[in-house]
Amino acid sequence: MRNTAMRQELVQLGGGAHALAIQILGNGADAADAVQDAFITALSRPGAYDRRKGPLKPWFLRVVRNRSIDLLRKRRPVEPTDALVDPGGQPEQTLQNQQRDESLQAALAELPSDQRQIIILRDYIDLSYAEIADVLAVAPGTVMSRLHRARMALKKCLESHDG
Amino acid sequence: MDKRSGAGGKPGDHVNELLSGYLDGELTQQQRQRVGLHIEGCEACAANLKDLQDLHNRIGKAGLGEGSKDIWREKMDDTAVQLSQGIGWLLLIGGMLFVAGIVIVSFIMDPSISVFMKLVISAVYLGFGALFVSVLRQRLIERKSDKYKDVEI
Repeated sequence: MRNTAMRQELVQLGGGAHALAIQILGNGADAADAVQDAFITALSRPGAYDRRKGPLKPWFLRVVRNRSIDLLRKRRPVEPTDALVDPGGQPEQTLQNQQRDESLQAALAELPSDQRQIIILRDYIDLSYAEIADVLAVAPGTVMSRLHRARMALKKCLESHDG
Repeated sequence: MDKRSGAGGKPGDHVNELLSGYLDGELTQQQRQRVGLHIEGCEACAANLKDLQDLHNRIGKAGLGEGSKDIWREKMDDTAVQLSQGIGWLLLIGGMLFVAGIVIVSFIMDPSISVFMKLVISAVYLGFGALFVSVLRQRLIERKSDKYKDVEI
């Protein structure tokens, strides 16, 4: 029963987790593998997650992040890609939205990985600062300044991409 | 007074990172009041706050990950299959090792078979075992370095 509830919750988290993994690994396919590995961790060892210690979301995102970093270390060097937006995304998106997303993707690609991650965790996945600190394993007091620097850097990059 | 300097602030004394905290609702009441007062009198920070709000909305609406829940449900089902396969293999190998252990112990302890026959039969089985391990090892090494192993034909 507990497993069924966890499965439903994990399905909801798939998209956000995938976006985070894409920012670390640089492509959608590897990111999907990282999310699936994290599913295996969560479902095969449900005892690893203790609900009393906090919600599932930050815990699962931390597992996805760690798995992505492991995959990045094991992976042979590959050609850098700027495909940080999932290419299989939303078919119903209008052309205008796609263009906006593409320039956002290009601007994100110019940022360091830790800045991309903190932006995704706050602005895309909507985590609180305490949850972000938990996922990134940083001091809670530093989240606001890190996030602000990342947002300002992204804003600057977007200005050149949007024209 | 320089309008851009903010209420009660020195010129250039902008609230900077507190703007992000203000936008995200992560400030204390005191900080929130301070930033609220500051942006009322500081065009630069008010404009910056609006830009950050627009950026937040834009990222929130962007297609940055695979949003289809059906795809993740399928992946989850694959995961369940992988898990059940893993458990199945574990039980099978564990059971086989247990049975093999019992057979080996009863074979060694059996007084009706001479020591010579025990050695001959053991040599035959050990030979099979060594060949099996050697082939298995080779296959595992090949599998690890085979870059086409995930290619579906």
